[in-house]
Amino acid sequence: MLLFFCFIYTNAFANPVDSLLKNKVVVKNISFPDLQLANGPMDSSSFIIPFSKVGNLMLIKAKADSVEGNFVLDTGCPGLVLNLTYFRKYSSSQESDAESEGITGVTRADQVEIGNFNFGTIKAYHVKADCVNLGNIENSKGIKVIGLIGMLFLQNCELIIDYQKNLMYFHVIGRKEASVYEHSMLKDETAYRTIPFEMSENRMILRTVMAGKKLRFVIDCAAETNILDSRLPDKIFETLSITGKVSLVGVGNKKVDAVKGSLAHFEIGGQDISDLPVLVTNLEKTCFSNGGCVDGVLGLDALSVQKIGFNFMKLKMYIWK
Amino acid sequence: MEMSSVIISIKKYCLKGCMAMLLLLLTAPLHAQPGTKEYTISKGDMKITLSKSLKEKDLDNFIDQYNLGDLALKKMISSNFQDSVKKMGWKIEVNSSTILVLTKPFLSADIFNGPSKTIDLSWINSAAAAMQMPINRPYGYNVFRNKHAFTVKDSVVTFVLHNHKNAMQVKLAGSFTNWEGNAIPMFNSDSGWVVSIKLSPGKYSYKFIIDGNWITDPENKTAENDGEGNTNSVYYATNTIFKLNGFTKAKKVILAGSFDNWDEGRLQMNKAVTGWELPIYLNNGVYTYRFIADGNWMTDPDNANRFPNEHNDFNSVLTIGPPTTFTLNSHKDAKEVFLAGSFNQWRSYEVRMKRTDSGWQIPYVLGPGNYEYKFFIDGHSFDAMGKESRPDAPGSVIVIGANYTFHLKNKSAAKTVFLAGDFNGWSPNAYPMKKDGDEWTLTLHLYPGKHLYKMIIDGNWIIDPGNKLWEDNEYGTGNSVLWVK
Repeated sequence: MLLFFCFIYTNAFANPVDSLLKNKVVVKNISFPDLQLANGPMDSSSFIIPFSKVGNLMLIKAKADSVEGNFVLDTGCPGLVLNLTYFRKYSSSQESDAESEGITGVTRADQVEIGNFNFGTIKAYHVKADCVNLGNIENSKGIKVIGLIGMLFLQNCELIIDYQKNLMYFHVIGRKEASVYEHSMLKDETAYRTIPFEMSENRMILRTVMAGKKLRFVIDCAAETNILDSRLPDKIFETLSITGKVSLVGVGNKKVDAVKGSLAHFEIGGQDISDLPVLVTNLEKTCFSNGGCVDGVLGLDALSVQKIGFNFMKLKMYIWK
Repeated sequence: MEMSSVIISIKKYCLKGCMAMLLLLLTAPLHAQPGTKEYTISKGDMKITLSKSLKEKDLDNFIDQYNLGDLALKKMISSNFQDSVKKMGWKIEVNSSTILVLTKPFLSADIFNGPSKTIDLSWINSAAAAMQMPINRPYGYNVFRNKHAFTVKDSVVTFVLHNHKNAMQVKLAGSFTNWEGNAIPMFNSDSGWVVSIKLSPGKYSYKFIIDGNWITDPENKTAENDGEGNTNSVYYATNTIFKLNGFTKAKKVILAGSFDNWDEGRLQMNKAVTGWELPIYLNNGVYTYRFIADGNWMTDPDNANRFPNEHNDFNSVLTIGPPTTFTLNSHKDAKEVFLAGSFNQWRSYEVRMKRTDSGWQIPYVLGPGNYEYKFFIDGHSFDAMGKESRPDAPGSVIVIGANYTFHLKNKSAAKTVFLAGDFNGWSPNAYPMKKDGDEWTLTLHLYPGKHLYKMIIDGNWIIDPGNKLWEDNEYGTGNSVLWVK
């Protein structure tokens, strides 16, 4: 689900144009209180951070100046997004009774500058983050979400997510060890499958074949479901068992139809996943500016219940059996 | 020449038309199986194929499963009513005497395209959210993978963590230990790591800390997120044991009541030596309930306290906690007065008030919350002051366990100010704020978590000018945001 928040804001993140911004807000410091640092070999470094899971979302406790809450780790998101609710400038129009004009006027292009972004050994200064309304995640999950951490901060990392211990192991890979580094958890190669992926505009793209057709999926660790494009050939849907129809509701209560169901077979890296739950809808408008379109979205829940890992330098994904 | 050319053209068109008809006949499922009911995806469209001889029950199930109530499919099959189908964007491909085939294209999800446009996959969230979010229901019960996970004796609960024999130190931390602050060391025994503590009835969150690592209880199936990113196990120290003596030959006995919205399947009772029983925790309040033994509903034979119900029968009544006294100091001459409110789904025949020297009175137990109520005097509804009110007018408000006060300043010229939010179903006129000097205030009980609200000043909906936090809503006018711990 969060993929779509982020599609929208890619350009603003990559090319911030301050002069267009009406309400620039400055956050001095974002930190993660439960994070534990560990020294890495050579020019590398490691850190471990506990997470909690609500639905498919992986939440990391964080503090942005005085605001406490959760960041969602979101590989479907290119950069950093903050929840507008907690990082907007106080609108003077809020004080007037004619609030509706005022509010709609200031929610459009807010952007935040973060002085220090301290994500373990991943540190960034004067980071620009886009501010969007993440209220619907909060309202559906009952959790306080202050932002999303996307791919920009993972590009030099290896990340192993242990679902059973609720821990994320980050390793920032230095240039000197980039070709030789391997986490101790990866020593036993029989315990996991290795699957290559590509990066396109800061998104992880996995290629697979369904019913003889080559397909591209975005890997989104925050996706609420797996999504398939309804425009794919009929043959792909022959193994889809449809269990219901739903409406997706957008801003302004605009609705589009989608069907939910499960795919009898889905192959990824030589591994057959049976009964993959999917939502089918028209993905016509989910093309990247340069990187073509995608045929669907894959969440992590479908791939492993134990551990899953990503090496963003070697562009390899590790799925524990 | 001209004539023959026209004839040839007619033949050509005729041939093309006949070919097309033939093709249609070959491809369209004009003779589908009598029980056909399919929802498929074909050529990028959604496709419904329905046999017209489908049994009504099967058609109802199909309509429910695929959320097709808006299509009036039953009316279309019975009397060829097509308006609803067309209005909802479906195309009629085949409509023969035996089969109906409809298609509809998937509209492009262009809701993703543009700033501040987001998507709400609410159906996906709902199931997971129901499992994970703190649920503010008035009862709770424990579900362990092993039925005898914790022993309880005289309010002393023995927490057990199996396995982890090689751990150096295990602690129990929870809402009863101020979490890590007073976490209790557990002892390594033959049956695992154990510790016994005394707990009064209530709902408790907890976790085990194994050599510094926090884990939820692997034996406990009940866990919830606290809204701040922590998932905790939940233990209910129970205060009520529902018992049904006898019925030992029954296969299944269910407890259903107002505390569980009369769910007929959730609270399954356990077989005991002389009958059936179920220990649960209940918040303070008045509850009505019945047992269902192998499908047969019954009141509690050992409980004489009963309220009449809407089926000209009775429900058993259970009261927990200290009562609030509702008093009406007027209408002494009335024949009968009932109390009804949001706490009993406005059942105006249930709680009969007792006559006093000055009017009417009834003690009634309410748990923490905000409630609307009215008095029903000889069949007419009256507010708390004894003034007659329209049946559709909101009731008077009583707040139990108030924990948050809303303030509105600099609006002394306003004539009326109401508070509307998720806590009162966004009612525009149910929760009036009170003028207190130059500010308006209202104190309510709010459950922990996020709340959305607005203020309504002389009919104008505004976000709270005293609260910096607000978020967009579907109308583009914003809602104020409040987190309660």
